[in-house]
Amino acid sequence: MRNPFLFPFFLFFLVSALSSCSKLSIREKSPDPEPEDTASIPLSYQNGIFVINEGNYSWGNASISFIDGMGHSTVQDVFQKENGRKLGDVAQSMNIFNGFGYVVVNNSNRIEVVDITTFKSVGAITGLFMPRFIEFIDSSKAYVTNLQRGISILDLSSGKISGTIPVNGWTENMVVYRRLMFVSLIGEFKEPSSGRKPQIIVIDTQTDKITDSIPTGKEPIGMVIDKHNKIWVLCSGGYDQFEMPSLMKINPYLLTTEAVFDFPATASRPSRLSINPAGDTLCFLNGGVYQMSTESPGIPLHPVVEPEGRLFYGLAVHPQTGHLYVSDAIDYVQNGVVYQYNPHGQLIKQFVVGRIPGYFCFAPDNNL
Amino acid sequence: MGQPLYEKLSNSNFLKTILFIGLLVNFVFTANPQNIRDTLRLPLFEVKSVGVTDVPGFKKTTLDSITLVHHLDADLSKIISENTTIFIKSYGNGTLATPSFRGTTAQHTQVEWNGINLNSPMLGQMDFSQIPVSQFDEIEILYGAAGIAKTSGAFGGVINLTTSPDWNQRIKIALAQTLGNFETYYTNFNLIAGSQSFQSHTKASYSSSLNNFPYYNDYLGGKVRQQNSGYSLSGFSEELFWKIKDKHLLSGRVWYSYDDRNLPPTASQYDQEHIEKQKDKTIRSILEYKFVESNFNAVVTTSLIDQYMNYQLDSTLNSTHQYYSWINRARFSFSGIRNFTIKPGLDFIRDRVSSDSYDGIKTRTTAAIYAETRYNFKDILIATLVLREELIDNDFLPLIPAFGLEYLPIRGIDWKISANLARNHRYPTLNDQFWILSGNPDLKTEVNYSTEIGTGFRRLSPNQKFLLDARLSGYYSWIFDMITWLPVEGSNLWKPENIDEVHARGLEVELALKGEVAGFLLSLMGNYSYCRSTYAKANLENDNKIGKQLIYIPVHNFNSTFSVKRWNFFLNYNVCYISDRYTGKDNFSYMPAYSLSNILFGKNIVLTKYFISLQLEINNIFNLDYQSVANRPMPGLNGALTLRFSFASPSKR
Repeated sequence: MRNPFLFPFFLFFLVSALSSCSKLSIREKSPDPEPEDTASIPLSYQNGIFVINEGNYSWGNASISFIDGMGHSTVQDVFQKENGRKLGDVAQSMNIFNGFGYVVVNNSNRIEVVDITTFKSVGAITGLFMPRFIEFIDSSKAYVTNLQRGISILDLSSGKISGTIPVNGWTENMVVYRRLMFVSLIGEFKEPSSGRKPQIIVIDTQTDKITDSIPTGKEPIGMVIDKHNKIWVLCSGGYDQFEMPSLMKINPYLLTTEAVFDFPATASRPSRLSINPAGDTLCFLNGGVYQMSTESPGIPLHPVVEPEGRLFYGLAVHPQTGHLYVSDAIDYVQNGVVYQYNPHGQLIKQFVVGRIPGYFCFAPDNNL
Repeated sequence: MGQPLYEKLSNSNFLKTILFIGLLVNFVFTANPQNIRDTLRLPLFEVKSVGVTDVPGFKKTTLDSITLVHHLDADLSKIISENTTIFIKSYGNGTLATPSFRGTTAQHTQVEWNGINLNSPMLGQMDFSQIPVSQFDEIEILYGAAGIAKTSGAFGGVINLTTSPDWNQRIKIALAQTLGNFETYYTNFNLIAGSQSFQSHTKASYSSSLNNFPYYNDYLGGKVRQQNSGYSLSGFSEELFWKIKDKHLLSGRVWYSYDDRNLPPTASQYDQEHIEKQKDKTIRSILEYKFVESNFNAVVTTSLIDQYMNYQLDSTLNSTHQYYSWINRARFSFSGIRNFTIKPGLDFIRDRVSSDSYDGIKTRTTAAIYAETRYNFKDILIATLVLREELIDNDFLPLIPAFGLEYLPIRGIDWKISANLARNHRYPTLNDQFWILSGNPDLKTEVNYSTEIGTGFRRLSPNQKFLLDARLSGYYSWIFDMITWLPVEGSNLWKPENIDEVHARGLEVELALKGEVAGFLLSLMGNYSYCRSTYAKANLENDNKIGKQLIYIPVHNFNSTFSVKRWNFFLNYNVCYISDRYTGKDNFSYMPAYSLSNILFGKNIVLTKYFISLQLEINNIFNLDYQSVANRPMPGLNGALTLRFSFASPSKR
């Protein structure tokens, strides 16, 4: 009888030999959903829209999609393409100042700083406490809100955290009014809604001291300022639906609450408060996309864009054109979609973007 | 290790009957006396006949002590991923490892210890990194509908870890010590004492590791050491077996384990202060009584599991979960009627959970009746019908039926063809129903229809020097109302819904070739699985998952082990290949395919009463820089040195 091992051995060693050849690192790969678009990588990122894709918590797959200024093409994972490394875990927001883009990567606990024309990394800011948003005060200073331990003061010239404004708990949105910074404070992250003391805190940006505070409804997760210099605060009512969601109108000069609008039903979960370029129409998500005049006597009943089987996740109003940009994160485990609507809710265009698109950042001189 | 149990028992008719409780396979092969025992002994190789199936028409394989003995220091995830077609999704060395069996999720694989369910009633799954190999003697793997004979809801299958007494053992003491990279230490102590009617088995093990392996961190752009990844796992078990008049067998088992683990950060979280810990304390106990007559037997089991788990994440989360499961089973077998066997059974299970993540204490009561009937047509065709009916908290599950056929075409040739057809149901887990703010009490049961066809062939060469064992199976399985956790709009909450429809189909090939060439004992084993597990339905407007593979389930999974033995030297070489695994339901992003190779060699010194063995194991010999799960680093080249020593007083035969 011939040795029956010969052939199987041959196969076995072939497989083993092949296996030893693969010396590449085994890491997640994210091919472009629409590869034909990659031919037109723009020479500059100065003109367009950055879509911040959060990515899945702990998966390290946050990314940035770029929609060029003419709306002709989309580039996926801009940060990886330009820097040869992944952005990190849970990208929360992005803001542009003096030619630099600041990408806040929440669960990587850092802010990646890029040159906005090339999107090449110029450094990273560390020493944060689960950062959320960045707002600039002048050419030397910015504030960063955090999930824990207060507001970080960033020295823009050194790129280092120069101090902390101690606050108990999770700070979220920021709005500048004269020399004051209005910051929404949600409360201790680990507490249920019942134990949180939500408020808007007022900081004197010259002294970095808290000068005042205004109590709000549970979970103030959105804040904008209108053309009459009134600050609008959207309160979700709590992740546990502790109370009715509400919209508050604050007079930042007198530090008084001028109006509180309750949402019609607790089942709704409003989010993503934005305002149009004219500063007279608020916009938010509540299943569909809603618009509300700053003069309105109450919360509107009908959306300008119906959800139609979509899970809208992000919303922003273009600061020049007033177009509405709405994202659908689908089930959070696939690439998302961004819709562009005109202010009347008519669909202009849609774009495929990355995983869990949540935030938009508009490059300053774009005219899309 | 001791000789195969089956072999030792073959001298006693009673013992054979015990062994084959409920199996009744003997008569199938009476024409071929070689097969009366289900174990054939080649020098040092132990091979099970393909014809032996607990439930004819359904697939079962076994990993025996010969496979396990070199890996006493490992956990179950290593054994399963290197030796079976079941895919293990591993989050890193010493951390969470969950199975995907035949294209299903971790909750569709049930892990049992001597027939008692170990899956948590909260999560519905088992972490394979928490089961030390040293705590059991053999692994039974029941594929697909074969699991219905044990439980409901295991659409993928059942993995049963078994221990059994060795009645010929007088006294045996075994010690093993392993030293590995990253300050990994493992100590195992075994004591067997007893007589032909009473046996006591004691096992104790302790392992600890700093587990601070170096890896390339892409976010930092350099090589770093994994941090906060140390663990210590302790286990102790005591088993007592008492046999009375060859008719009654009483056994009692207790297994305690205490696992204290730091959970390492992801690669992207590396440069943060990070405290994440998990502590588990588990006690599992089983009392069992077996009664054996020539054509009637009964098994009554009562079991209690108490598991405590504490999870801590920085200062934001510190939660404790505790559950008790009281599991009772009764199984009977009656084969008094010609060619006909009936095996009825009753189950009663009570789960009680006290969790920081539930609103109050939650309980679940499961009562089940079960019957298996079998008809044997002239030892050529055997038909099996399994019926199971469950009552869970006043909710009757629809009937769970499984029908199987086994065909033995040629008398005297160990070749069989089998097929089966089944419907199965899985009840939601307690987390699905009661997790605070997220639980969905309105969930329905998942439904599974499955069919399978397979063949097995085994042949010993005429000169008795080579043995070939080959199996091929194909399956198709439809899962309806599959429970998936989905994000809730406008919040950070997720909620489970009966939303998915999944079609899983595939092929499995298992080949084993063993023999002797010029005094060398050679063995080559290979397992390959092809699995397409895809979504058949989408519920959201932009959902792009229809026809796409489920995430983290490879289409191709191959592993092979080559071993050679001579002059008491041994060498094993194992290679595993895992194809691409998608990380998005739209199948754009993926983890690339990889293959890993491990090598193990050593020398045994066998004296009359003493046995000494020294082995060196080298894992990931090509130092592949890989991740199995995205953002979760895995170790490169690493090794472990093991010294084993045992003393046994000569056994009477």
